[in-house]
Amino acid sequence: MKILKAILATLLVCGAVTSNAATIEMEVNGLVCAFCAQGIEKKLRTFPETSDVVVSLEERLVAVSTKEGKDIADDELRRALTDAGYTVVNIQRPDESIDAVRARLKESPR
Amino acid sequence: MFSLIRPSAGACAALAFVGASAAASAKPIAFANGTTVMAEYGAGTMLEGQAFYAPTYWLSTGPGYVRFNSDIQYVNREIAYLRVNYLAKRWNLPSAQANVFVWGGLGSAAGNTFDGTRLARNVGAQFDYETRRVYASVKSDLWESSEFSQRVDTLQLGFAPYAHDYSTLATWFVIQGRDYTGQIRHGVEWAALIRLFKGGAWIDAGVTTDGKPQIMAMFNF
Repeated sequence: MKILKAILATLLVCGAVTSNAATIEMEVNGLVCAFCAQGIEKKLRTFPETSDVVVSLEERLVAVSTKEGKDIADDELRRALTDAGYTVVNIQRPDESIDAVRARLKESPR
Repeated sequence: MFSLIRPSAGACAALAFVGASAAASAKPIAFANGTTVMAEYGAGTMLEGQAFYAPTYWLSTGPGYVRFNSDIQYVNREIAYLRVNYLAKRWNLPSAQANVFVWGGLGSAAGNTFDGTRLARNVGAQFDYETRRVYASVKSDLWESSEFSQRVDTLQLGFAPYAHDYSTLATWFVIQGRDYTGQIRHGVEWAALIRLFKGGAWIDAGVTTDGKPQIMAMFNF
């Protein structure tokens, strides 16, 4: 089981390094309920560049990944969340895949 | 640090014609490009259904139906209406959100104390504050026609035993106090509710101090 986990973790890391897809993390204020998350996810998935979206109420985090070779400008993302009724505090582009972000959120202490 | 979002003042003008109400203490606007369908059975005193579409996060509109059955005397009123909801102000705080909603609409009222139908008008407002563990809302609805004038004021206070996340079931314990004017009910109607929601589905279920069921279901998509 440990070996399997190690392989999966390696694949996730390799995916982050070799992929041309971007992962973008946004810290968001006002993110307190599932309906908030539902609206934000729905909005971000309207971008043709979007491949996946992760929302964490616990971490006040919205992460979006783009398709290979695609990107979404910070201004567009900030406008999308403002238009959804929320406030973006900051935007970061971590060097990891969205699956790694998802795994990290799952492991974060409550 | 907190942020304040104020929708354009021009949109307020769109509300010059005001008119209907929301029985449920849920937000009348869920999210942009979203549809909200709600039904409530209010302890035999009120029955309401609504369907709203929100083109933006600060405006929604749609039809509704509400029926009131008085427990003072045999009086009933029913109103079919078209309503506009407007988010007047929102505070986005790091771990909380607060909102001021106003709404209005026009409808057709019927009842057993007058013949035929009358034009009904409604205005209302709601203030709510919520974190992932605490919730409070105060709402007031005024319904009027040439035959009646009545108000429904609702207070809800809730707490969650655990902080939910997007993918987990949210559980809340809510105390509701509701006051009806206009010969509908004497005294405040208190109810204890359990609220569950996950994804776009929401249900409130509980009982009043009179032992009557209080149920609300809402779906956002």
